[in-house]
Amino acid sequence: MAEPTGIGVQTPLGETGKIRRRDPIYQAVEPGTVKVYVWEFPVRVWHWVNALSIFVLFVTGVYIGNPFVHAASSGEADAFLMGWVRIVHFITAFIFTLGWVFRLYWVFFGNRYTREHPFRRRFWSGMWETVKYYLFLPNRKPHYVGHNPLAMLSYWLFGVMSLIVILTGFFLFFEPQLDTVFGRLVSWMFLVFGDSFSIRSWHHIFAWLIILFVIVHVYMSVRDDLVERSGTISSMITGYKTAKRAHLIEAEEDTAGERKTLDVG
Amino acid sequence: MATAVKRKTIYEEQREQGVTRREFLKVATAITMALGLKLKMVPTVVHAMETRPRLPVIWMDFQSCSGPTESFIRSYQPNMQKVLFDMIALEYNGALMAGSGTAAEEHILKIMNEYPGEYILAAEGSLPLLPGALTIAGRPAEETFREVAAKAKAVVAMGSCATWGGIPAAKPNPTLAKAVTDFVPPGVPFIRIPGCPPIGEVMTNTLAHIVIFGTLPEVDELARPKAYYRHRLHDKCQRRPFFDAGLYAETFNDEGARQGYCLYKLGCRGPTTYNACAELRWNGGLSWPIQSGHPCIGCAAPNFWDEAPFYARVVQLPGTQTTINPERVGAVMTGAVAAGIAVHAAATVITKGRITKKKTDVKAQEDIEIGQ
Repeated sequence: MAEPTGIGVQTPLGETGKIRRRDPIYQAVEPGTVKVYVWEFPVRVWHWVNALSIFVLFVTGVYIGNPFVHAASSGEADAFLMGWVRIVHFITAFIFTLGWVFRLYWVFFGNRYTREHPFRRRFWSGMWETVKYYLFLPNRKPHYVGHNPLAMLSYWLFGVMSLIVILTGFFLFFEPQLDTVFGRLVSWMFLVFGDSFSIRSWHHIFAWLIILFVIVHVYMSVRDDLVERSGTISSMITGYKTAKRAHLIEAEEDTAGERKTLDVG
Repeated sequence: MATAVKRKTIYEEQREQGVTRREFLKVATAITMALGLKLKMVPTVVHAMETRPRLPVIWMDFQSCSGPTESFIRSYQPNMQKVLFDMIALEYNGALMAGSGTAAEEHILKIMNEYPGEYILAAEGSLPLLPGALTIAGRPAEETFREVAAKAKAVVAMGSCATWGGIPAAKPNPTLAKAVTDFVPPGVPFIRIPGCPPIGEVMTNTLAHIVIFGTLPEVDELARPKAYYRHRLHDKCQRRPFFDAGLYAETFNDEGARQGYCLYKLGCRGPTTYNACAELRWNGGLSWPIQSGHPCIGCAAPNFWDEAPFYARVVQLPGTQTTINPERVGAVMTGAVAAGIAVHAAATVITKGRITKKKTDVKAQEDIEIGQ
């Protein structure tokens, strides 16, 4: 076990040479406390681009679904308000889609905090403890430097919800030209999601579910920042989270144990 | 063909009725145009009419209002008489035929035996799964349908009830109605002509297409003829400029409605409905609902009746027959989540000291275990 060393010295922690795993860099700031470089630069950029696109997509999307303001017009169809709103929605949708693809790539090639494997027993037992923690029940939730399993599950679900919104969105985008190459890429969705009305419904409902996710996500981050004093909020800008050295070693032991099991298997 | 008697071609029959060659060519050209074919296709149409006999059609009504039949006989281009008397032989239609009872039912059998694999079964209305809900001449309609469909060249489902289940299949669906296309025996091709009712010209043109080319027209993913159902009304709508401009009628009586603004906010289903209303229009091209100031209710769309209310923008919960106003429900859900967060945050503040203490206890135990 590598021990955290002096201030400002970056040391890889734990075993190396595992599947494309970048071991976390961390700095000891004061006795007993370390700063861990959790969120790498690309994922931080992605986070804020994604947040901004969701906001823009939501506002323009609600307008498209239910135009709440009228164009200022002489009464002739010379304005282009809905047209512009749709164009902004479409361009942002492409950014959101590229972000989704990037984040999927980052699941495989980011550092170890970029995902938690959902098909492990430890993930689900940790989830149970985390749920108890959030329900103020006695629990054995360890301190997670990155995502706790419940948070991770919500991000997996967020990814699936985003995918549904992206797919149905592209159907709606290409709907006027179903006989073109692009149209043929999306017209199969008739058979999965149902007719045009149903596809629109899926798009709309999942957009709202994403908004609910965002609200809970923001609350949880603020709460974590205040309760755990882990610098959750600022970490999405600087990349660093604060953790107790003891917690870190504990987590590392956990992972190491698991790795050993994996190696044997 | 089972029977040895050679059937007269369409051309021969017309000549017998005193139609001159010149008049015949005029009719053939008019039909070519009505079908939207290129002018150079006229010889193909002429050849088909010279060599093919009239197409026998059995038209059966099930759980329907006979709307498709009513619309069919109001087709203008080609008009019903042209199709009915020149191109097809409508052998059976509950709403139009003079005969009834045993004689009529026997006629179906006669057609089935004389023209197996050659006649078209045009079906209108849905079929119920509830026993006894619909019988024709004392027999379950479903049985009769399967029998007649099994020997047909193709089944043409006319109207939304036949294509999707329509109003009989809408909530609460007391007769367990399903679309006739769900009952078509395997191996028999079918085509869907949705609409409540479908545009008359779409029905006559589809039959005329089958007569001339001997095949079903090209269809989309949901088996609708592409020529009429490839585009949404929204993309061909004459009010579309007002949609893009952001100018909408809010009620049926406001200035927007008088100015002919987009009917989107009045629940118009144009953006989700595939039909040819915007091009062919109704009553011989006179008008169509959106032109005359009424939002589209999406009658050609699957489940259209369950997508009510017609005059509001709603979404359907996937897999159900329930619609919601997404913005209202979304706002309520957001409020509920916010309330939940407020409670949780308050609980966090109140219990903070206690929980932290407990956590420390647990942690201490763990440390002891590790220590051992």
